[in-house]
Amino acid sequence: MLSTVTASPQLRAGPGPGDAGTATGVIRTEALTKLYAGDVTALAGLTVDIHPGITGLVGANGAGKSTLIKILLGLLPPTSGRAVVLGHDAAASGERIRALTGYMPEHDCLPPDVTGTEFVTHLGRISGLPATAAKERAAESLRHVGMYEERYRQAGTYSTGMKQRVKLAQALVGDPRLLLLDEPTIGLDPAGRRSMLDLIGRIGTEFGISILVSSHLLGEIEQICDHLVVIDGGRLLRSDTMTSFTRVSQVLVIEVDEGTAALQAELAARGLGPRRSERGLLVRIDGDATYDVVRDAVADLGLPLNRLEQQRRRVEELFRDHEDEEERGDD
Amino acid sequence: MTTDGAAPAGTGVIHDLGYQHYDGPRLGRPAIIRALAWHSLRSAFGIGRGAKAKIVPILAFILMCLPAIVNAVAVAQDPGQPSIVDYDTYTYQLRTLVMLIFVAAQAPELVSRDLRSHVLPLYCSRPMRRLDYPLAKYAAFTAGCLLLVEIPLIILYVGNLLSASGGSGVWEQTKALIPGLGVGVLWALLLAAIGLVLASFTGRRAYATGMIAIYFFLTWTLAGILVEIAQHGAGPGPVTSGIPLGARLPGLISPFTVLDGVRQWLGGTNPGPIPPPGSVGAWYGVMFLVLLAASLGGLAARYQKVGAA
Repeated sequence: MLSTVTASPQLRAGPGPGDAGTATGVIRTEALTKLYAGDVTALAGLTVDIHPGITGLVGANGAGKSTLIKILLGLLPPTSGRAVVLGHDAAASGERIRALTGYMPEHDCLPPDVTGTEFVTHLGRISGLPATAAKERAAESLRHVGMYEERYRQAGTYSTGMKQRVKLAQALVGDPRLLLLDEPTIGLDPAGRRSMLDLIGRIGTEFGISILVSSHLLGEIEQICDHLVVIDGGRLLRSDTMTSFTRVSQVLVIEVDEGTAALQAELAARGLGPRRSERGLLVRIDGDATYDVVRDAVADLGLPLNRLEQQRRRVEELFRDHEDEEERGDD
Repeated sequence: MTTDGAAPAGTGVIHDLGYQHYDGPRLGRPAIIRALAWHSLRSAFGIGRGAKAKIVPILAFILMCLPAIVNAVAVAQDPGQPSIVDYDTYTYQLRTLVMLIFVAAQAPELVSRDLRSHVLPLYCSRPMRRLDYPLAKYAAFTAGCLLLVEIPLIILYVGNLLSASGGSGVWEQTKALIPGLGVGVLWALLLAAIGLVLASFTGRRAYATGMIAIYFFLTWTLAGILVEIAQHGAGPGPVTSGIPLGARLPGLISPFTVLDGVRQWLGGTNPGPIPPPGSVGAWYGVMFLVLLAASLGGLAARYQKVGAA
């Protein structure tokens, strides 16, 4: 079940003190367990390997995502098991990890009476940057997240989208090797969500910073991730590369604007055995010849062809399958 | 950092593809704590905040300096007369009132505000330890209180020096100033600790301010009333008959009277808000330490918890 395929290696060259040897994995947890007082299990023996690139951490609310992030930052001691981040043990050298990691919390964290620039500059200094460097890096981070003139305004006047950008900028200001983003799209409208995801995608691919991004919405996160870790009730459901999640199936989707029934009959006559789906027809692919048969059938009937492509399995379907299996197993 | 080597011309859009990694020095924990403390000290005086945030600190400062300025003018008019303000008590009613207002208004500015806006997770996720935050805040607020208490004493000193006669006059003034500065240090250490621990319990600035002001005001008033009752109960006898124990103990209730008790115990002779503690002087020393330890302990315990949340 556990695959450890390296997706788009973005390892930064350059000296990272203290991370020699185990440089391949960004995050590794071994049987990580966290019990809170009152027998609440936040994590139950989570073992997962996370590689450079963008990794989605998906789970319902309360699945243990925030607990995992806090343990990775060395802020919360695990009850048992162990977590290694950028080659450092989280329980023992949290400070070292935090110097190399940027964290964007889920909740609002901007005081209303400071400007974006002041806020990010100050947090740059708390990341350990000297005064001048903090100023420069703050200006640069804010520019990278698309905050221009607004950064001189007080944060109280910002839209949710701007606040999220500033939160991302403060995570970026210390030039981290790893970003931990907790629900970065929360509270955003669809357009805001899309641009935030684009931004995260760019940071992951162009800036060479590894990212672990958590979300309870599978559909949106799958657009930018190389790798997906799915947890539920503190347990690992699945960890795999994005491509294996959405592997193209050997099914062809055909949509015509009209005459679906006629086409179905025609394809059946030509021996393809089409099945009806919501909006079109599904045909099992049997080599390139299948495409030719479909093309000829559509052309002969003179139908307006709308769509002809291999069906992609959506990640959500996979989890639906998984749940179905579980249910069947329970019976 | 700007993107060197301009982006391809003609597009009119600056593409921010040029992310540059930071290769400069990274400072350690001591520098980070200093940066946080400096930032907090500035905010104690409303610097880096809006105009409204500066009103209370500036008014407090002006009010605190008034006696020293009046003294300087008076002494300059009549060089013969002695200083009308003492270094160690420094018009204690005014100083108590100003410090009460300053601590009640500004301690929440340092800690409640961070709780309110949930900034703490951002600090916790950076290379500092859990207790570095309260440490930096305490250092900053102590320094802030120190500035407010000691600068007027320096003005007082300079004012007196201008009319001091000869080297002996300067020496006299200096000798009187040093214990005065010492008392100021005790004030700053204790009041900053109490103010911060009370403010750290709520993210609502108004509640925090109210809590601190009520605590200071109630204990101060109660101590005053109890001293009054005990002294009247003893009858209007001559002072030489000694001060009843009942009048020497109530000062232990209020931080301000504890500070004055410590001053008198350590040898201060100028009259203060409470009668000389005499044989129970050491109790005031102990009470000072107890209050300080309880406040700092409470502050530390508070942030052990907050950090994990």
